[in-house]
Amino acid sequence: MTTAIPESSYSVDVVERSANRMVLSMGPQHPSTHGVLQIITEIEGEIVTKASPEIGYLHTGIEKSAENLFWSQASTVIERMDYLSPLTNALCYYLAVEKLLGIDAQIPPRAQQVRVLLCELSRIASHCVWLGTGGIDLGALTGFFYCFDLRERILDLFEASGGARMHPNYIRVGGLGRDLPSGFLEKLDGVIAMYEPRMRDVRRLLQKNPILQDRMIDVGIISADDALAWSLTGPTLRATGIPYDVRRAFPYSGYEEYEFDVPTRTEGDAYARFLVRLDEMDEAMRIVRQVRKKLDTPGAWQIADTKFAPPPKETIALSMEALIHHFKLVSESFRVPPGDVYQPVEGPRGELGYYVVSNGDNRPWRVRTRPPSMYNLQVLKKIAIGELIADMVVMIGSLDPVFGEVDR
Amino acid sequence: MPSSQTPPAGATALDPTAVRPDIADVVRIIRVVPAALRATLEELKGEGFSMLLDVGGADYPGREPARFDVVYHLLRIERTATTLAQVGAPDRVRVLCAVGESDPVLPTVTDLWPSADWAEREVYDLFGVRFDGHPDLRRIQMPDDWQGYPLRKDYPLRGPALERTPRPSFALKSNVAAGTPASGKTAAALQRQIAQARGNNSFMPGSGPAAAAQSGSQPGGTVSGGAATPGQLAQQPVNLKTEDNKS
Repeated sequence: MTTAIPESSYSVDVVERSANRMVLSMGPQHPSTHGVLQIITEIEGEIVTKASPEIGYLHTGIEKSAENLFWSQASTVIERMDYLSPLTNALCYYLAVEKLLGIDAQIPPRAQQVRVLLCELSRIASHCVWLGTGGIDLGALTGFFYCFDLRERILDLFEASGGARMHPNYIRVGGLGRDLPSGFLEKLDGVIAMYEPRMRDVRRLLQKNPILQDRMIDVGIISADDALAWSLTGPTLRATGIPYDVRRAFPYSGYEEYEFDVPTRTEGDAYARFLVRLDEMDEAMRIVRQVRKKLDTPGAWQIADTKFAPPPKETIALSMEALIHHFKLVSESFRVPPGDVYQPVEGPRGELGYYVVSNGDNRPWRVRTRPPSMYNLQVLKKIAIGELIADMVVMIGSLDPVFGEVDR
Repeated sequence: MPSSQTPPAGATALDPTAVRPDIADVVRIIRVVPAALRATLEELKGEGFSMLLDVGGADYPGREPARFDVVYHLLRIERTATTLAQVGAPDRVRVLCAVGESDPVLPTVTDLWPSADWAEREVYDLFGVRFDGHPDLRRIQMPDDWQGYPLRKDYPLRGPALERTPRPSFALKSNVAAGTPASGKTAAALQRQIAQARGNNSFMPGSGPAAAAQSGSQPGGTVSGGAATPGQLAQQPVNLKTEDNKS
């Protein structure tokens, strides 16, 4: 006796049960789904025969909101998409806006260095969350505290730079919101010094752990062909052996100046993705160390054109021009020439892209995000088949979805 | 808010993609009509564009003859590329396909790239463009029974239900203008309540309704002059209560 699976049935746990077959609804409120994800799972005994992920529980209409805000205000909502690495979202959006404005070549080097620094720190912080919560999914509770402690130190840096821990809104059009505050570099040195021994501990706790290896090796295998067909990017793609990294393929913000490797594995299973992300954290820290050396020399942190970047506060009381520019920027923002542009960056989850359309107004006409974790999550339909229901948790964790971005 | 949705006259473009400024971009842009979309994408896939990065929509109301744009972003990566040099800077293609408002239907590409599944559902959900041949074309972000397509420019920002009720003006919202304390009670009602509360303590001298009205007009203060009598001390809780009501 087989009946069709109800594709969207809410608040039901066991949807249907027959002799050997059961339709089970995981989520949307389930701690191991890392957010509000529902998976209608069809199982035979313990083996998954069909999985249909249902998304949209966190849909907040961010793209619609962004169309109704000024160009400079839209980053407030855009930072809330991928809330684990908000600065990467803001950077990608502003790179697109700067391209449309034609000022992308004028961004001062110091602003670019700080942008790279903060994005790489975001990558480490984001992977810390993935590593900590992914460990909890598998019963490794201790690693969580080691990872979140490191993340807290990085969030302290964000707080120092922009004033907020989660959504600092520090990257602005034409550069940064302000220069790095005094004492920031000392704090940064503290994080750099702390990173290596901390990650050695974490690796010792998790990487060689036989229970974790048992749970992850040969689970959720993705082939390179599938990875391309399902449009997977980031660590999920690189764990299948294809070293595509936007930072290397289409460098932005001066990434071509830094030395770093693109870690890959060929196995394509959950453990390979685990190792790729761990190595990526080390590479991110390598970039952070290189940026740190450059930050000792002070310099301009936003473009001089006060049509886009607000004039320095000191000049407002002295110069009529500066006052007018400041007033215009706050009250009606700037206008962007008509056109459309697609800008990719390498986020912690893969290629994050913004397709931005301007019609010449002071608000974006369309802001379309290419959400990496939505595409990465979609492959669950394919890889879950034939796996144990208990390994579903491992597979979701290894794809590292962020639902602020999946649902937007 | 329709005011922010409608562009001001002049200075803005009805079709921004047609007046694109010269952007140093590593992308090939192809514009096709719906009838040629499928053939173009099949050909591109044959050329080695193995990855469909994204399918998105855009709405240009008033543009003739086709109102919506569906935008495909493709990337060419060889399956056999195993080093950074082999991947290099892969080619990008952006395919824009305009589709009219009266019958917005495009052929699906889920059979060419399975990643198009959720992306096409999202375009359908938020713009109302249908994809012919899609295996499971349901709403994805909005609830199944939702009416309307939220990312269309004529869809109200605050949602249909809220948009129907007029937004209260500032004067009505302001308690200062309406003469209402923040607690929602009018000043006269508060005075009455105070007087009533004081009236219950009428066993002590100086705490009758008349005295209460006087002290009630000076919030937080006691009757001026002299030391505090036991009756005034008894008034303290009442005074505190009026403070609470006002804050």
